[in-house]
Amino acid sequence: MENTLKMGTANIVSAVHVSSDAKKFKAISTIVLGILAILALLPIILIVVASFTDETTLLRNGYAFIPEKWSTDAYVYMLQQGSTIFRAYGISVLVTIVGTLISVLITTMIAYPMSRKNFKYRNVLAFFVFFTMLFNGGVVPSYMMWTQIFDIKNSIWALILPNYLCGAFNIFLVRNYYANSIPDALIESAQIDGASELTIFFKIIFPLAVPTVATISLFTALTYWNDWVNALYYIQKPQYYGIQNLLIRIMNNIQYLKSGAASVAVGTGAISLPSNAVRMSMAVIGILPIVVIYPFVQKYFVKGVVVGAVKG
Amino acid sequence: MSENKSNIKKVKNKYAKSGPLLLIAAPGILYLIINNYIPMFGIFLAFKNFSYKKGIWKSPWNGFQNFKFLFQTKDAIIMTRNTILYNLAFIVIGTVFAITIAIFLNALGDSIRTKFFQSALLLPNLMSWVIIAYMVYAFLNSDSGFINNTIMKALGKEDIAWYMERGYWPFILTIVYLWKNAGYMSIIYLAAIAGIDKSVYEAASLDGATKLQQIFRVTLPLLKPTVIIMTLMAVGRIFFSDFGLFYQVPMNSGALYATTQTIDTYVYRGLMELNDVGMSAAAGLFQSLLGFIIVVSANAFVRKVDNDNALF
Amino acid sequence: MFKKAISTILAAAMTFSLVACGSSDGGAQSAGSDNDTKTEAAATADGDYDQITYAFVTFNTVPDDTSDVEEALNEITREKIGVEVHLMPLSIADYTQQVSLAVQNGEIDIFHTLGDLGNSIASDMCYDITDMMDTDAKETKELFEEEWLKTTMQDGRLYAIPTLKPFALQPMLLYRKDIAEELGLNMDTVKTAKDLTDIFAQVKEAHPEMTPLAPVSQGDSGLTRWIPNIDWLGDSFASPTGVLQGEDMTVTSYYDLTDFEDYANLVRDWYSNDYIMKDAATTTSAAAELMSSGNYFAYSASYSYPLEDTAASLSAPSGYELGAIALGDAYLDTSSINAVAQVIASTSENPDAALKFLNLTYTDADVINTMLYGIEGRDYTKNEDGTVSYPEGQDAATVPYTAQLSCGVLGNFFIQWPLEGSGSEESLKWEDEQNHNAPSSPAMGFTFDASGVQTQYTAVSNVIQQYLPGIACGSVETESALAEFRQALKDAGYDDILAEKQKQLDAWVAAQ
Repeated sequence: MENTLKMGTANIVSAVHVSSDAKKFKAISTIVLGILAILALLPIILIVVASFTDETTLLRNGYAFIPEKWSTDAYVYMLQQGSTIFRAYGISVLVTIVGTLISVLITTMIAYPMSRKNFKYRNVLAFFVFFTMLFNGGVVPSYMMWTQIFDIKNSIWALILPNYLCGAFNIFLVRNYYANSIPDALIESAQIDGASELTIFFKIIFPLAVPTVATISLFTALTYWNDWVNALYYIQKPQYYGIQNLLIRIMNNIQYLKSGAASVAVGTGAISLPSNAVRMSMAVIGILPIVVIYPFVQKYFVKGVVVGAVKG
Repeated sequence: MSENKSNIKKVKNKYAKSGPLLLIAAPGILYLIINNYIPMFGIFLAFKNFSYKKGIWKSPWNGFQNFKFLFQTKDAIIMTRNTILYNLAFIVIGTVFAITIAIFLNALGDSIRTKFFQSALLLPNLMSWVIIAYMVYAFLNSDSGFINNTIMKALGKEDIAWYMERGYWPFILTIVYLWKNAGYMSIIYLAAIAGIDKSVYEAASLDGATKLQQIFRVTLPLLKPTVIIMTLMAVGRIFFSDFGLFYQVPMNSGALYATTQTIDTYVYRGLMELNDVGMSAAAGLFQSLLGFIIVVSANAFVRKVDNDNALF
Repeated sequence: MFKKAISTILAAAMTFSLVACGSSDGGAQSAGSDNDTKTEAAATADGDYDQITYAFVTFNTVPDDTSDVEEALNEITREKIGVEVHLMPLSIADYTQQVSLAVQNGEIDIFHTLGDLGNSIASDMCYDITDMMDTDAKETKELFEEEWLKTTMQDGRLYAIPTLKPFALQPMLLYRKDIAEELGLNMDTVKTAKDLTDIFAQVKEAHPEMTPLAPVSQGDSGLTRWIPNIDWLGDSFASPTGVLQGEDMTVTSYYDLTDFEDYANLVRDWYSNDYIMKDAATTTSAAAELMSSGNYFAYSASYSYPLEDTAASLSAPSGYELGAIALGDAYLDTSSINAVAQVIASTSENPDAALKFLNLTYTDADVINTMLYGIEGRDYTKNEDGTVSYPEGQDAATVPYTAQLSCGVLGNFFIQWPLEGSGSEESLKWEDEQNHNAPSSPAMGFTFDASGVQTQYTAVSNVIQQYLPGIACGSVETESALAEFRQALKDAGYDDILAEKQKQLDAWVAAQ
């Protein structure tokens, strides 16, 4: 049947053929990704289960997907930390949002000239950026500069400014995207219309770069969310602890209490201190917000942009 | 009319005006100077016998003394070999996995399935290495580990003392690396695919190309620039290793050093007792320099073959 | 560096705070400070006092606000020494990193070491306080035996003051009383670790599901504590180790000692018989955690407190009633004294003021206890017997300020008020006697400067971490592993370190 129709309606046939082909491909994708997703999730489920497992059971039987005895002790213990945890969540959210906004702005801006094939210094600038990826002066000089010149110690800026605002990796991701996905003709025609570089960047380039902006926003947000290094160097006041710092500190204190060295001092409270389960519950608490928020951000990656439409 | 003409002329010039473009890049450049370039004077520490009292400038020079420890050991070759081979494996296998996942995800479009799969694959990246180490231990420990307890028993096989058998670890570490990073890396490629002009696919499907043909003839060639950039950046850091993966995950087990020791873990273990600022600066500088040489050569090669996609 | 800090503090922690904070009336050592200290009211006008900052590690929650406690301290210090102090309690996770940055930036005046005094001196972090002791810290100096202060000296100059606390560590076996009673084990017959094989065999026979011995922590079966009369000469079992055994002044490799080989074989024997945890070399759990799972009978560690006290206080975290027996005697060497020592930062602008304040932490009960417990009524209440409790309905986690768990880290342990229900007069006396009477190394006071052999040090550290845990936990064939281990040490330049150590020791002996 295909044969007889082939001549006249070649296009229609191939369209039909392609759409069934696409369906098949979708099915395969679902299966493969489904398997991968399960593999990715299994260990995490193990962690979540472990965080709800009774401490003694955990020590006696090891980790299991279905533990002998469940317990919410770890979370009760975490809740006892009470308002500290919520305050730390607040700090983390604030730092993540502000840091990501500033970072995305200056990252996309510095990447734009690097993507312009007719920019004289594009390679110089690229090298200037790449060099920072390989060489660094270490903690000591950075610390001296940020504390002595900028005086950011024990302030919210200490969590935002050092290290993460303008990473070479992200810059190159964006540059690469601009260079390959935004046609030169688009910029040229804007220039012909008399638009300034700044206008071109903000009105045309930036809106067109949604997928890559989404990517680096996510990467930067994750960096800020997971960061505990800045606080390790620059923060002494608990008021400025983010959630990761708080978790690390709680964990270390438990480790110390559990070592038996402090037993009398803490008295009987030490008996049921659920250290393994607490570690796991911390991991859960740390990733929870991302799990909740991510699905909403996610659509920007697959949607794409219809570059062609703007082109005309 | 005449204004338009002069604009056309400007565009036809080989280079665009540098001023406005530099202005757009300025915030980023300024940040990199402050955050990265000024503290680079810390590199001098590699050649100094650091004294807290005298500070960086006044501490006495000691030539290449700080570098010696890197070559003191017979294992220098083993740790360098491990570092490079793991990185190469990660670059190749990691890229293949990331692109595969990205293509499959893209095929599913913006659906609930996609959201679920992508979130699941991204989650592992949010786990800290300490937690991952506990998790791997939950699977592998010889007494109560999941694999020995459940899987090996079901297969009727003898228990394996995983933390004593170095032969398994190249595979274990690669799997753990992929588990943590493949989903994350796939986002970069997903964004790149989203940036591909949809009309290219439409044209291809009208020509009767199957989904598979589209992947190999359209998607992959268009991802080439991204792959090149990602690889070049990874090559620059080929002498560095993810410390958590190689130190925490193998539980610092001595029996595994032959396959888990990298330059970073060696430096860490060696300096744990000494905590010497100069020596750790020396190690970092050594790794950076070697990576720098390699990446500059690789970049020169890329520039010759495919000028547009070079890093700088 | 974090893991190192944790393991150091855990090791150090074993030596303090087990019995909380000293006894009520100051024990034998307190030198009637209040009368002795001159009232040194500042001549200058209000607000013109020397400002100093004191960084220390706290295992309690880091307090949000220390200003009230500082004010309470300053009320004393302004009048006595004309100094105002700022407290900087740091969590153990940050301590090492923040202190080293703060020292090089000149932000702090006082900090304390955590087992790393040698490095601190070598990298110029410590102020030379030799000539200031007699004027600024005379009373403190009198609290110490001359030998003890030598442990914080290098080339005849004093760089730190050891924290005054029970120093003498005794290797012990902590075991489950219920099992011992059930099987009628006669634990008194055990004098050394070698006598344990029998006991373990009986436990294993009666309870095949149990493992008799748990490691103290990852890779530490207790083996390194059993060999008697070892002076580590500034190292520890996990760092490049040339040691002295007994009176012989020849630096010997620890891993070449016959005792080491004997005990390694012993543990290997246990391993083959399932007497020790199979995963001891890689486990992530500490002894108390393992014990509380009910799968283990005993573990071996060192403590500086009487046997009964130690057993009683460790019973709670282990979840079972424990007994304790000694597996050897306490032995004092340099590192047992200087593990935790108070240092004036080399970048301090007010070293005299700082030392004067340090002096008070050793001699003035009000000062040190305010630092530990905060403000009376708000953070703690004082009981009639001289002990301290948290205010009603409050505990360590809820009061605005407490650094109670740092009691063995700061100043003078013997003038600190004990927390209610811990520490007895007799224990304190016993600990004080141990400090003075425990046998000590002939090289007491010798410190090793590793800066000449740093290169070899790093390579050897790596080798030790590679081989020692396996050997110490019996999970590798002793004979072949030991041979390999020794060869690897040699290849890494171990002999250079031993030779350097011998050279420095000889010079030290000659100077005595």
